[in-house]
Amino acid sequence: MTGLTQQVAAILGISQVVTWEDHSTDPLGQRWPGAISPHTSLPEAIAYPETTAALAELMVCAHKEGWRVLPCGHGSKIAWGCPVQPCDLWVSTHRLNQTIDHAVGDLTLTVAAGAHFQAVQTQLAATGQFLALDPAYDRTATLGGIVATGDAGALRQRYGGVRDQLIGLSLVRYDGQLAKAGGRVVKNVAGYDLMKLMTGAYGTLGILSQLTFRTYPLAEASQTVVMVGGLEVMSDLLAAVRRSSLTPVKLDLLSAQLLQDLDLGEGLGLAAQFQTIAAGVAEQVARLQDLAQPYGVSSQRLEAAAETHFWQGIQQQMHPQPVTPADPAAEPAIVAKVGVKPMEAIALIATLTGPLPTARIRLHGSSGIGWVRVAADALSASDVATLRGHCQDHGGYFTLLEAPIALKQTADPWGLAPDVKRLMGRLKAQFDPQNRLSPGRFGAL
Amino acid sequence: MVTQLNAAQTQRDWRPIVQAFELALGPRSVTRRKEELLVYECDGLTSYRQRPAVVVLPRTTEQVAAVVKICDRHNVPFVARGAGTGLSGGALPLADAVLIVTAPMNQILKVDLDNQRVTVQPGVINNWVTQAVSGAGFYYAPDPSSQSVCSVGGNVAENSGGVHCLKYGVTTNHVLGLKLVLPNGDIVEIGGTVPEQPGYDLTGLFVGSEGTLGIVTEITLRILKAPEVISVLLADFTSVEAAGAAVSAVISAGIIPAGMEMMDNFSLNAVEDVVKTDCYPRDADAILLIEIDGLPAEVAASRDRIEALCKANGARQVTVATEPEERLRLWKGRKAAFAAMGKLSPDYYVQDGVIPRTQLPYVLQEIAHLGEKHGYRVANVFHAGDGNLHPLILYNNQVPGELEQVEALGGDILKLCVQVGGSISGEHGIGADKRCYMSEMFSETDLETMQWVRASWNPKGLANPTKIFPTPRTCGEGAKSLTGQELGGKRGEPLEGVERF
Repeated sequence: MTGLTQQVAAILGISQVVTWEDHSTDPLGQRWPGAISPHTSLPEAIAYPETTAALAELMVCAHKEGWRVLPCGHGSKIAWGCPVQPCDLWVSTHRLNQTIDHAVGDLTLTVAAGAHFQAVQTQLAATGQFLALDPAYDRTATLGGIVATGDAGALRQRYGGVRDQLIGLSLVRYDGQLAKAGGRVVKNVAGYDLMKLMTGAYGTLGILSQLTFRTYPLAEASQTVVMVGGLEVMSDLLAAVRRSSLTPVKLDLLSAQLLQDLDLGEGLGLAAQFQTIAAGVAEQVARLQDLAQPYGVSSQRLEAAAETHFWQGIQQQMHPQPVTPADPAAEPAIVAKVGVKPMEAIALIATLTGPLPTARIRLHGSSGIGWVRVAADALSASDVATLRGHCQDHGGYFTLLEAPIALKQTADPWGLAPDVKRLMGRLKAQFDPQNRLSPGRFGAL
Repeated sequence: MVTQLNAAQTQRDWRPIVQAFELALGPRSVTRRKEELLVYECDGLTSYRQRPAVVVLPRTTEQVAAVVKICDRHNVPFVARGAGTGLSGGALPLADAVLIVTAPMNQILKVDLDNQRVTVQPGVINNWVTQAVSGAGFYYAPDPSSQSVCSVGGNVAENSGGVHCLKYGVTTNHVLGLKLVLPNGDIVEIGGTVPEQPGYDLTGLFVGSEGTLGIVTEITLRILKAPEVISVLLADFTSVEAAGAAVSAVISAGIIPAGMEMMDNFSLNAVEDVVKTDCYPRDADAILLIEIDGLPAEVAASRDRIEALCKANGARQVTVATEPEERLRLWKGRKAAFAAMGKLSPDYYVQDGVIPRTQLPYVLQEIAHLGEKHGYRVANVFHAGDGNLHPLILYNNQVPGELEQVEALGGDILKLCVQVGGSISGEHGIGADKRCYMSEMFSETDLETMQWVRASWNPKGLANPTKIFPTPRTCGEGAKSLTGQELGGKRGEPLEGVERF
C-alpha cells in the first residue's frame, strides 16, 4: 500500500479504499480505462466515502496534497467526453447513497449523490411517484452521475432535462468545503442557479454530495403507439404530430436498425408514449391513430408488459449494460449525443444511415436531441467533423461521448464554441483554480 | 473578489463618459436631465428610490456593447433595466452608476413556427411573444402577472414565474439561447436553438442572475402549442387546512393542473369589496382556483375527478367554467387581488416566499401571529400548487416608521419560510430588497461559492453591484439608517394599472 492509499485509508477507514487492481472483477471495470489518456499512469486507488463529512475531509486532504481527483458514481459513464489527464485518486460517491428526505406531499426527493437510480425509482413507486428521468445505463447509474452528465433521456419531451428537475444541491468544493445552492422547494430564485451549472459539468467544478429533485405522480394509465414508414412520409407525420395538440411524454424517432432489432418492421419509426388519466390516454391514442391514418404508415399500440419491453429494448440497444466483464454488451462502440432543430431530425437520420445503414439512432421529436450508436470503427475523425458541421448548421451539436481513444485524440469530442470555452474556462478557474478535478474532461479550457 | 461600488456618490467627472456615450449612441439616447431621470428612479419596488447619474437607451447589441465598454474603461458601474416592473429592486439605480435601459430594443427578430422557437430583443413585452404566434396556435408559457408590461429581458434577469408555472415551468425552462454583452463589453452567444448544448449550461446559469453577469441582447425562446380546452374550477372551503388537503389530493391523484391558486378570507373579502365578482363566498376561509387544460376528454375527466376530490376534502361548493367569459369571471378577483389591496389602503407591501406546500396551514397560522405581533393584518394569496406565498401587508407610507415596521414583518415572514424548509423568493428575485435575508438561507461558504460565479464573469463588479448578495455595508450593524437614507425614505407610488400576483 502506497502513501496515498494509506492516507486515504487513514481518513476513510481501510474498507472505503480499493486499489485499482482489485477492480478488475467489476463488470463496468472494462469501461474505466477509457476514461484515462493512454500511456499515462493509472490512479492508485478508488475511494468510497460513506458520509458527506468523510468526503469533505478527504477533499481537504486532496487539496493539501495537490492530488488530482476524478469524481465518479458507479462509473457507467466514466469514459464519456475527453479522456482525463492522469489522476492520483478516483473518488466514488457510490456508497454515499442514502435517501435523506422524500417529502411525499411536496413531491420532492433529497438523496445523497450516489443514490442508485433504480433503487430510488423503486422506493418512489411505493408512494405513487417517480423521477421523470430515463437515463442511459439505468441499472447502474447513480443520480450524481446522471446530473454530472445531464443525461435525462426521452422523458425530456414532457418533463424537460435533468436541469429542469434538479431544485437543490450540495457539493464538496476543490478545497473540501461544503456548499449548497437552491433548496427543497420547486420554485426558488434565491441566489445563482448552481443546479444548472453543475448539470452536465462532468465533475469538473466540484463533487456533488446531495441532490434534491422534484418528483412527479405516476400516471394512472400508459400506452405507446409505434408507427413505421418511409423517410419522407415520416417527416410529414412528425410535423403533423408536432403541430397537433397531442401531449406525449415521449416522442422518439427510431432508425431502421433499431426497429429491426426489436422486430417492429422495416422503415423509420416514430414512437409516442402517452401517460395520464385513462380517459386522456385513450383520447390521445385515438387522435394519433386518426392523424396517422392518411399517411399510410403501419401503426401498433402497445400497453402493459409489451410497452415496458419495447422501451427497455430501445435502451438496451442504445446503451447495452454488461452483466459480466466478458459480456459482449461491453464491446466498444461509438456513441454520440446529438442535437439538431427538431424539423431537421429526419434529415440527420438520412445523412447518417446513407453510409451507415446499421446505425442505431434515437432522436427526441420535440427537442431534436438524441443518440447515435455505431460500430467502433464506423467513423473517422473527418466523418465526425462533417457530421458535427451538419448538426451545427442546424443549430445543434455532435458530441462524441463513447469512442475509441484513438478517435477521441484526433476528433475533438466536444466541439465547443470559442465563446463557450472561454466562459467555461473562467468558471473553472474560480471553482478549481489548480485544475485538479476531472482535469482535461472538456479538453483545454 | 468582487468590488463593492455602492459607495456614496464620488466626485466623478461624468463629462468625458457622457461624451463617449453620446458619440456611441447619439445625443438623444443619453439622458442627464433631472426631470427625465425621475421616471427611472425606481422599478416596481417603489419604496426604494435612487436617481441614476446617467441613463442610456441603446437600440442594438453593438450599442449595448459600446456603452458597457465605456463603463469598463472608466470603471463606472452600470445597472440594466427593462420595463422597470420588477418587484425586488433588481433595477434600482445607484447614484454613481449608469442605467442602461433596454426598453427601446423591442423587436421580435425571428419566428420559427416549425421548430417552435422565437428570438426576441430584451425590450419585447412578454405577451407580445404570445400575440406573435397565437394565430398559428402557439403561445409563450411563462406569464408573470405584469405580462402586458414587463419585458422578456427582465423576465430573463429575474427568472420570472407566473400562474401557470406549476405545469409549464418558469422562464429558465423556456430559454434556449442568449446573446449577451459581458461586463467587459464583449459580445458572446451561449446556448442555442437546441437545448443541452455541449459544455456548461451557461444559459441556465445566466437566467435569474439579476443583471450581475451581463446584459442580454437577444433571447431565443421555446413556444408551446396552445391547449384545445381550458377549464377553471372554483372551490370554497371552511378551513385553510381543508383547501390545502384538496391541493395535495389533486396532485397525488396524478393530475398536474395548469395552475392552482388559493386566497384566504381576508383577500377574498377585499376583492369582493372592491371588484364585486359575486362569485367568492365571503364566509369561506379559503378558496381554490384550479385551471386544467388539454384535450377535451382528458379535461372533462380531470375536472370531474378534481371536483370529487375537492368535495371529499370538505369543499362546500364547486363551480366550473369552460367558456372564456366565465373563466375570466372566476379569475377576475384573483387577478385583481393586489389592486384591491391598493384600493383598501394607501399602500401595501407584497412579500414573495416559498414553503413546502404541506406546511401551509402551519405557516398561515404563524403569519397571522406575526401580523398580530407587529400590529398589521396580513392577507394571503398563494400559488398553492408550488408553495409560492404572496403575503400582502396593508400600511400607510405617509406615517413615519410604518414602512420600516412592515418591512420587519415581511422579514419575519421570510425567516419563517426558511425555517420550514422554503425560500426567500419564488419569482420576484432578491435584488436590493432581500439581499440581507440571503444569510438566513445560505451559509458564508454557500454565498462565497456563488460569488465565484460573479467573479468569473464580472471581475470588476461593475454589473449591478450591491444586488443579490449581502455585505457588511448594506446588511451589517448600522446598515438600517444607511439603507433608509440611500435607498428608501422617499414616498413611493405604486405603478398605475399594473397587475401584480
